[in-house]
Amino acid sequence: MSKSAPVRTPTDLTSSVAGGIGASPQRPDGNLKVRGEFAYASDLWHEDMIWGATLRSPHPYARIRSIDITEALKVPGVYAVLTHSDVPGKNLYGLEHPDQPVLAVDVVRYQGEPVALVGADHPETARRAMERIAVDYEVLEPVVDMEDAAHGRGTPLHPGGNLVRHVPIRHGDQQVTAEVVVTGEYEVGMQDQAFLGPESGLAVPGEDGGIDLYVATQWLHVDQKQVAQALGLPLDKVRLTLSGVGGAFGGREDLSMQVHASLLALHTGKPVKMVYNRLESFYGHVHRHPAKLYYEHGADRDGRLVYVKCRIYLDGGAYASSTPAVVANAATLGVGPYDVPNATVDCWGVYTNNPPCGAMRGFGAVQAGFAYESQMDKLAAAVGLDPVEVRIRNAMHEGSLMPTGQVVDSAAPVAELLRRVKDKPLPPVNRTEPVDIREMPGGASNTTHGEGVVRGIGYAVGIKNVCFSEGYDDFSTARVRVQVIGGELSALAHTAACEVGQGLVTIMQQIVRTELGVERVTIAPMDTTIGNGGSTSASRQTYVTGGAVRSACQTVRGRLFELAARKLGVDAVGLSLHGGKLVSDLHGVLADLVDVLGDDVVDETVEWRHRATESLDPVTGQGNAHVQYGFAAHRAVVDVDVELGLVKVVELDCAQDVGKALNPEAVLGQIQGGSAQGLGLAVMEEIQTSGGKIRNPSFTDYLIPTVLDMPPMSIDVLELADPHAPYGIRGVGEPPTISSTPAIVAAIRAATGLALTRAPVRPEHITGT
Amino acid sequence: MKNFEYARANNPADAVRLVGDRPGATFIAGGTDLLNLMKDGAQTHDRIVDVNGLALTDISHGNGFLRVGALARMADVGAHRAVREKFPVVSQALLASASPQVRNMASIGGNLLQRTRCGYFRDTGSACNKRIPGSGCPAIDGENRGHAVLGVSDHCIAAHPSDLAVSLIAVDAVVLTNGPHGERRIPFGDFHLAPGDTPERENVLTHGELIVGLELPLTPAAAKSQYLKLRDRATFEFAVVSVAAALDLRGRTVNDVRLAFGGIATKPWRSTDAEAVLRGRALDTATIDAAGRAAVHGAIPRAHNAFKIDLVQRALSRVLHELGGVR
Ligand SMILES: Cc1cc2nc3c(=O)[nH]c(=O)nc-3n(C[C@H](O)[C@H](O)[C@H](O)COP(=O)(O)OP(=O)(O)OC[C@H]3O[C@@H](n4cnc5c(N)ncnc54)[C@H](O)[C@@H]3O)c2cc1C
Repeated sequence: MSKSAPVRTPTDLTSSVAGGIGASPQRPDGNLKVRGEFAYASDLWHEDMIWGATLRSPHPYARIRSIDITEALKVPGVYAVLTHSDVPGKNLYGLEHPDQPVLAVDVVRYQGEPVALVGADHPETARRAMERIAVDYEVLEPVVDMEDAAHGRGTPLHPGGNLVRHVPIRHGDQQVTAEVVVTGEYEVGMQDQAFLGPESGLAVPGEDGGIDLYVATQWLHVDQKQVAQALGLPLDKVRLTLSGVGGAFGGREDLSMQVHASLLALHTGKPVKMVYNRLESFYGHVHRHPAKLYYEHGADRDGRLVYVKCRIYLDGGAYASSTPAVVANAATLGVGPYDVPNATVDCWGVYTNNPPCGAMRGFGAVQAGFAYESQMDKLAAAVGLDPVEVRIRNAMHEGSLMPTGQVVDSAAPVAELLRRVKDKPLPPVNRTEPVDIREMPGGASNTTHGEGVVRGIGYAVGIKNVCFSEGYDDFSTARVRVQVIGGELSALAHTAACEVGQGLVTIMQQIVRTELGVERVTIAPMDTTIGNGGSTSASRQTYVTGGAVRSACQTVRGRLFELAARKLGVDAVGLSLHGGKLVSDLHGVLADLVDVLGDDVVDETVEWRHRATESLDPVTGQGNAHVQYGFAAHRAVVDVDVELGLVKVVELDCAQDVGKALNPEAVLGQIQGGSAQGLGLAVMEEIQTSGGKIRNPSFTDYLIPTVLDMPPMSIDVLELADPHAPYGIRGVGEPPTISSTPAIVAAIRAATGLALTRAPVRPEHITGT
Repeated sequence: MKNFEYARANNPADAVRLVGDRPGATFIAGGTDLLNLMKDGAQTHDRIVDVNGLALTDISHGNGFLRVGALARMADVGAHRAVREKFPVVSQALLASASPQVRNMASIGGNLLQRTRCGYFRDTGSACNKRIPGSGCPAIDGENRGHAVLGVSDHCIAAHPSDLAVSLIAVDAVVLTNGPHGERRIPFGDFHLAPGDTPERENVLTHGELIVGLELPLTPAAAKSQYLKLRDRATFEFAVVSVAAALDLRGRTVNDVRLAFGGIATKPWRSTDAEAVLRGRALDTATIDAAGRAAVHGAIPRAHNAFKIDLVQRALSRVLHELGGVR
């Protein structure tokens, strides 16, 4: 039985339509995904299509002396072999700065950088042809140290040097001193988004000389703009449609195969499919910036913060991607969700020859969160306070001032979130005999039955900005159409906002049901025939595209009332919609909407923006840069085998304020998933590089948590409405990723007494050898 | 992947001939390692000979031995009652390997011949003496957390990844083969080779020589044995370090003991020195610690793997305390 539609709406007027906001109707794509029938971008197919493949640099840094494609062209079945000279438009692209070549010209700056493309009748033919492309490289010494890169030491990799962005923040008294001072140096490893669906898409040449691109991405319009520029085509000749996306987490905000497949398609006149394999995927998308962080916290003897000073370095790798935004987040959120009267923050994002880094869930806030929360524990120890107490004493609240001078002007229940996780019952320490080894450190490996095991508890709280910041014109476009189809009232919602697995399609249906009282809501394919929907990132789609859909519904409703007023001769004021009926405040049910509409179609498109933000002052870092802040707190309970260095996270509890849970089950899913990703960063996930090269580009060697690593969670969801946001919602996706990592590491510290300044924590950090 | 020919062998002689005939040919069993290596370009073959049709899947015991066919699957061997009872170390090593899906496909013979997880070996963009003899070993001064501290040479420090092999060397297994030159019985300790000057040679098999099975002598020590594996996540991951121990106590005195180690050496690593420390002595914390020191004698640490030297001693201590009931 299909359960993708909500249960039928009751007919009495007191209850609203089923499956609206606040309910948890099933996802329209849920059944297909569970049954393995959902079509992902890698399943795309076209008659006569050929396959594209990318030749990549094996070196992190090298000069290209020459590229010879002669032999590759001779391979039977090869349609085209392209290099930078075949890029008809601008051979540079980038999310914020166009600094990345579509195909390398005379230099490669990271291992895996695209150098040439092959279009062939079969992926194997393409691979064989690639082996016959002769690239003569002069290998250069890679730049890999982020601090050197920030301070002008070492070879400049780009014309402007290796500094991508420096954000300073000067808040309060810069000379102030404090009675209690704690310092620390921290490191965060390079995490991968580890989405399961590899980069893939299909480019179909159009009869008008343009291109139709079906692709798994996070932001159709920013792709469209970059593809059009590279192809030298006007925007209307580059049409994108979202294909099935198998996870994103930030890794699809930058281009991967979009321009490449389009180039091949225009060149050969054939539809071109490209699918990365797992190895190529590790080279083909940006990762989370690894970070080095230096912190100093000053406080009084009661643990009240007097100042925070910090220096944060973020390694952006070879190209800028979203490094500028990541730097701004790390800087502006760098002291955490605390009232800090005086702050000196400097954050640098740099170019190196390491793999390019960009957006990943919690971008910038995750790295800073690990450091400032580690510092709060140090401060608690220094003043002899409980870690939760010291946080509560300094907790920010509504009305608090950020170090940027921005007033936090909606709920900031930091203390409440901490109290909630602290007050949850603790899991029992003494297990029943015989122990289930899967619940022990070492898991199924049979390392302990309790010997050497010490329990530890850790807490953390985090802050994340929601939506795009720093004066960016951040908006979404939504079109809502209502008509009668087959005698039934039906609505259609259309946006270009990308469903990447998070459940936007469900949220859009829910909003339309609530606003228009129409039960049957179809979601149109997401494409560029409609205006920009903005990026599926920064926890922003429910806020911004949700806001746009609601606004479009309101416009549609107004039109429906006008129509009703005209057709039924009633006053348009005092009308409302309930379960497919037109209702008047004074006269009750007036008519079925089906009858009011008849053959008429109401179709409205609306552009919706959240309130404007400001840029940061380049010297002082002051400015109302952010739209909204989201908060989550975690308590982690761990068992550590202190002799063997193994950790089992026994329980990971979370409290988060979501403003309003439009879909409570989806909210829980986001919190669980985000917490699991934070657990990964705490104890295992890291792209290991040496000399700029990735050493573990596979899911055999890059570890993500399994079901045995991820413990049960108890989750409290607070709904303190933000009056500035649609329905009062607060972005949900990122906050749980921020506090999960430091809470777990704090718990390991509590069990071991070790300083543990690096995430992920490995056995050798615990055994101290 | 390069083009290759596929052939299916109907009997061992067939298999030996089909591979022996062609220098670029190799056997394929579960394919769980071979196919990855071929896809990544770390290994190329122009013919693969499918041996899955051979009747080499039996597990039986009698006459003082347990016999396991080379094509028995890891899952079946790990769960087999005789293996669990007579060789717990082998069963535990298998069940702590990979994932249920991999264990259902992967064969015992293939497991012994799986290649190292060294990132430089698996990346065709890197130099590697194992893959291209003479090209150099970037791991020695590069990323080497996963690498070996024992049995290393100036040419290679790649760790051997098999858990099963570590358990087998501890119980004195014998590898049974059938090759172009007839049948052989190879004591497990002689089967794998340390890299020395020829890291590309990982075992003593000749080209076309097929593993047909294993013979494991039943001993009191093997019946009281344990495998302990430390890894970076709770399941589905190779060993950071591992210990296979078999112990036969008479009272508190060690009558017989076998100790082998994984994750720390270039081949499954038996330490007869550590065994000698224990044999004939009363098992207590002091002798266990002395055995640990003997086990890592001569270890050569690198930038990222020095921790293993201490960690493996802790692991050994944990196993022996538990196995010997030492408090
Ligand atoms: C994700 C993953 C995780 C893993 N984790 C672990 C782990 O934790 N511990 C562990 O020990 N292993 C682990 N492995 C490795 C796994 O155990 C091996 O891949 C497997 O045992 C190989 O067996 P196979 O039958 O698939 O061999 P194949 O891949 O078919 O062959 C491997 C090699 O053996 C040769 N070969 C196969 N059979 C014979 C024979 N009868 N005679 C001669 N040569 C033969 C082949 O020619 C080939 O060179 C993991 C593998 C994967 C993919």
